[in-house]
Amino acid sequence: MSYDYLFKYIIIGDTGVGKSCLLLQFTDKRFQPVHDLTIGVEFGARMVTIDSRPIKLQIWDTAGQESFRSITRSYYRGAAGALLVYDITRRETFNHLASWLEDARQHANPNMSIMLIGNKSDLAHRRAVSKEEGEQFAKENGLLFLEASARTAQNVEEAFIKTAAKILQNIQEGVFDVSNESSGIKVGYGRPQGPSGARDGAVAQRGGCCG
Amino acid sequence: MVVLPILTKTTTWWKKKKKQQNTTSFGGCGEGLTVISRCFFLLMLFLSTGGDGNKSILLVEANSHGGGGGGGVGGGFGGWASSASSNVGIAIIVTAMAGIALAATVVYSRRGSLKSPWSRKRRKHALLPKQWKRFFTPDGRLSDGGANYDMNSTQEERDLVKEQKRREYGSLRKQCKQILKRSEKSLKFKETSGISSNEGSGDFSQVLDSSCLEDMASASRSPSIFGRTLTEDPDPPIWDQALQSPSLLEEDGDKSGLTCEDASAGDTESSDSDSSEEPEDMQPLLATKGSEENYLDEPAKQNSSSTDLENKSPSNTENKPKPFNAEDFAKWQRIIRLDALRTNDEWIAYSPTQSAVSEIKAHQLADSVGLKEYDHLEPCRVFHAARMVAILEAYALHDPEIGYCQGMSDLLDPIITVFEEDHQAFWCFVGFMKKARHNFRLDEVGIQRQLKIVSKIIQRKDIHLYRHLEKLQAEDCFFVYRMVIVLFRRELSFEQTLCLWEVIWADQAAIRAGTAKSTWGRIRLRAPPNEDLLLYAISACVLQKRKLIIEKYSSMDEIMRECNSMAGRLDVWKLLDDAHDLVVTLHDKI
Repeated sequence: MSYDYLFKYIIIGDTGVGKSCLLLQFTDKRFQPVHDLTIGVEFGARMVTIDSRPIKLQIWDTAGQESFRSITRSYYRGAAGALLVYDITRRETFNHLASWLEDARQHANPNMSIMLIGNKSDLAHRRAVSKEEGEQFAKENGLLFLEASARTAQNVEEAFIKTAAKILQNIQEGVFDVSNESSGIKVGYGRPQGPSGARDGAVAQRGGCCG
Repeated sequence: MVVLPILTKTTTWWKKKKKQQNTTSFGGCGEGLTVISRCFFLLMLFLSTGGDGNKSILLVEANSHGGGGGGGVGGGFGGWASSASSNVGIAIIVTAMAGIALAATVVYSRRGSLKSPWSRKRRKHALLPKQWKRFFTPDGRLSDGGANYDMNSTQEERDLVKEQKRREYGSLRKQCKQILKRSEKSLKFKETSGISSNEGSGDFSQVLDSSCLEDMASASRSPSIFGRTLTEDPDPPIWDQALQSPSLLEEDGDKSGLTCEDASAGDTESSDSDSSEEPEDMQPLLATKGSEENYLDEPAKQNSSSTDLENKSPSNTENKPKPFNAEDFAKWQRIIRLDALRTNDEWIAYSPTQSAVSEIKAHQLADSVGLKEYDHLEPCRVFHAARMVAILEAYALHDPEIGYCQGMSDLLDPIITVFEEDHQAFWCFVGFMKKARHNFRLDEVGIQRQLKIVSKIIQRKDIHLYRHLEKLQAEDCFFVYRMVIVLFRRELSFEQTLCLWEVIWADQAAIRAGTAKSTWGRIRLRAPPNEDLLLYAISACVLQKRKLIIEKYSSMDEIMRECNSMAGRLDVWKLLDDAHDLVVTLHDKI
């Protein structure tokens, strides 16, 4: 399928916070309560439409355990967006956010858009991290923020799409050099590139003719 | 280096399974699977036989009930690899004819009519119990003195070692529980001052306090024995002095304060409680509360000394002992519990006894190892998960340099499916991990080395494909990462995985046994056994997709996706054939 843009995402966060389940909910619209743990990196993709523009999201789902970090680090580089996930029922996963963020800042494109997700919002009765704390952390670090549930699908779609909207906005503001692949953005075949490749305008509605 | 026989369990398992074959679907290959599972152990043991100077005792035991129907499912054997706090290897083997031949047999018999080096061979049957017994003297020694395998021990000696190993495992478990209790307490302490505390932690320590079931399963009952195993001076096992190299003696010996009471104590139905034992042997741990660094000084000592010794063994020369780190361990304990509950249920069809476990028993065990939030799982999966926790945690303590890393549960899963006793499964796993542990090293040298070999094989075999990969900046072959880490466990079915692993181990075993040139040359059409057969198999599966990759894929992402979605689409025999061909043409060039 053709697209105007392709955005690369990476999903990071402690093990067991629900990264793979978020991805599965987003790509397949289903929830798998018992999910094989992720070894290394896995991969998912889906088309979304933002401002009536088809955008392909290509998502790298990473293993949470630290021992895989040096492998997953190589995926930061080519990512335009990151979903940083914690589990609202396990406080330690929230406490580790700073270290994940540091990792991301160090290895990723500085313009990468990061969405903080407090997952498992359906388990509010077991909540160990308040929504305000999440918001606060996001605000302090310039991240987008949502609480979501891979189980009920609440906010899952929104999380991916809001991140994409933010990236799109950055493109329109000329923050990215989309011709450079390490930005994590690829311009679709169906979309003629403007001189800078960064401006959007009349071409917007041309989404996808010849893939 | 010690090896143990165990036997009866696997045999019973097998028998039960036979009975249940009518009701359980094994896709028509129940019998084959049985053979395979047995071989599995044999080879696993084999696999961890150490290099220079390490000696092994072999143990095998005939099974008078096996081999029903002359289907060639012969002698029962199981082995128990054991290694003392670190390097000791193991091995088990079989008879003069060798496990290798047996493994090959299994392979042949599974091949059916496919044309391949594997199927062209004359089919051989596994040994019948009678034939099997013939290789042993009445006291359980190999009739030829074990000359071919550098192993010689009697049944009695093996039983002693088995008992010793059971205790060693029991003591590891005890330490794990103590640590868990401590870390949960401190967590609770921290969190009560925090905002919303983790509700689970409150009853958690209580659960542990009253825990007993799990210890009953594998640990010794006597407090005095535990005290001794942890603290007493080495007292080398008398039976093995001639066999063991000095370094191993010291190492194995440190655990052998054997009083050998009640060798049959491993009964899960026992109602002993361990809580009464704890105060005595755990004093050292608790006494040093304040200082995290050495509150575990006992195991730390144990490990550093064994690692020193280990330095003599080839596989470990490059490692400096990593001191036990309480923080790391607490982290592993947490992750292990999360991961154990995520194990898939493919094993259920292969272990009728475990799948029929009662809910009460399962939940008791789960509580005793501190497993939480398992209500969404059936009892048998809870039980399986709890065993997984116990063994992985013990392993992390046993090998603190590696500790726990995700992926290990994939490797352990088949082992506990077949071994119903935790301590047996544990030592088998230790043997398995001797090689596999390098995959999990933080510095990644193990995994990098293997990816490089895959890359090289592809380069040598198919330069077009390699150039294409280069163009996509994928020549590092990172896309096969998962296959390397968990040895195809995710791509192949449970049964196929066992087949592949056994063949891989058979190669490694043949190398260790020195049968490379002669026997294997004949059996495998001049392809010498290869230490890295797995990597050839991985390369083979990439090469099978060469056309697709070259013509259709224009990024590493796509290749990765292809590799990650191979589950259920691979034919293990074709894979082995192709791998074998690669070995034939490339082994001397890589």
